[in-house]
Amino acid sequence: MSSKPFEHRMAAHCESGTVSAILRHAGMDISEPMVFGISGGIFFGYFESKKFPFPTFVVRSRPGRIRANLARRTGVKFRSERFRDPSSGERELDRLLSLGVPVACQTDFFYMNYLPDHVRVHINVHFVILTEIEGDGYIVSDSYSPGLALLDRDSLRKARFAGGSFAPRGFLFYPVFIPERIDFRKAVWKGIKSAAFQMVRLPVPFVGVKGIRLFSKRIAAWPALARDTEHLSHEVMKINVLLEDQGTGGAGFRFMYATFLREASAMLGDSDLRGMSERIMEIGDRWREVSLFAARIGKRRDLDRARLGELGSMINARADAEESFFNDLLDLSKKKKY
Amino acid sequence: MENIAGAELKSEIKILIMETLNITDMAKEDVADDAPLFGKDNALGLDSIDALEIVMALQERYGVRIDDKNQSRFILQNIVSIADFIIQNRTK
Repeated sequence: MSSKPFEHRMAAHCESGTVSAILRHAGMDISEPMVFGISGGIFFGYFESKKFPFPTFVVRSRPGRIRANLARRTGVKFRSERFRDPSSGERELDRLLSLGVPVACQTDFFYMNYLPDHVRVHINVHFVILTEIEGDGYIVSDSYSPGLALLDRDSLRKARFAGGSFAPRGFLFYPVFIPERIDFRKAVWKGIKSAAFQMVRLPVPFVGVKGIRLFSKRIAAWPALARDTEHLSHEVMKINVLLEDQGTGGAGFRFMYATFLREASAMLGDSDLRGMSERIMEIGDRWREVSLFAARIGKRRDLDRARLGELGSMINARADAEESFFNDLLDLSKKKKY
Repeated sequence: MENIAGAELKSEIKILIMETLNITDMAKEDVADDAPLFGKDNALGLDSIDALEIVMALQERYGVRIDDKNQSRFILQNIVSIADFIIQNRTK
């Protein structure tokens, strides 16, 4: 059994933080922003359909893609498994932990009862690392917790086998192979190219910069879709929550992407990436103004046509800035040798 | 003994917060350096939107960037923790 203690660190986002932490324990020192950037995690999608109770948007790639894309671009291999039967899922987790293997698990965030009640909501895509069995519970390394925490067995079972959208079905993963030599230049540029392509070239009207523009136009129609002012106010204030509160690292992951580009610039000795990092940081600052504006008008219920028009214009300005930024980034990725 | 620069900075932070959030019914002396700024016992009655306003005001005034919520939860605990963060990270 391994005696190596698990080094816990807080992270901005649970999936990229978990992948970074479990790889670090396995001997691959990779930061959370680097995991996020190589995996091409930055994204924008605006969704308005019967599937959703109200229009919404996402600012990161689909859950699970961060781990999968990082593995593909670096050669790291993870073993992963889902379970139909909770007892089998629990047995496998206990077996791995008894061998000294920390294991990442997908959970329903609501059951992470070591965190304050007011932050816990039902979200089925919260990733944590179980580091060892302790009495009738587990030691957990959770990106959102300041230190290692204790979670009882019953809560973990409920969290791993919660129902609903993106049901975890006991999903777990852990690294089984880390290449001796990783071509980070190639991994970084492949990640950049794929993210930039999705943001400016994907011919889908609700994805990337097109999605930001659609968002900026459609927000004027939100009052007609809301039940009443209270509902509209809640949905407009949620723009701030989605950009700032859900483990995005601030400004809808734009700050985390800036940190990735800065770290990549230092790692590869590439000054172009440093300049791009500063540009996306600035873009993030303006997204934060969108956040604050939405939160303010939502809170004051100041939601007439003119105000929503102002908000739409601010969002459209973000589309302009990101279009120019990701086009330049895509051009750079085509010029570089890797 | 606390140094004068630290005391001045803390006073400056209190004024900045009160001006940013347009708090007119309290004096800066009413806010203790170690009183919690957020949570159920906070004296100023601040919420998460106020937190974002404070984060942006601190960035503009001192050039310090507080990227994410996990970080801001600890930095914005009270006036002392904000002052410590500014002393270590200020660019203005």
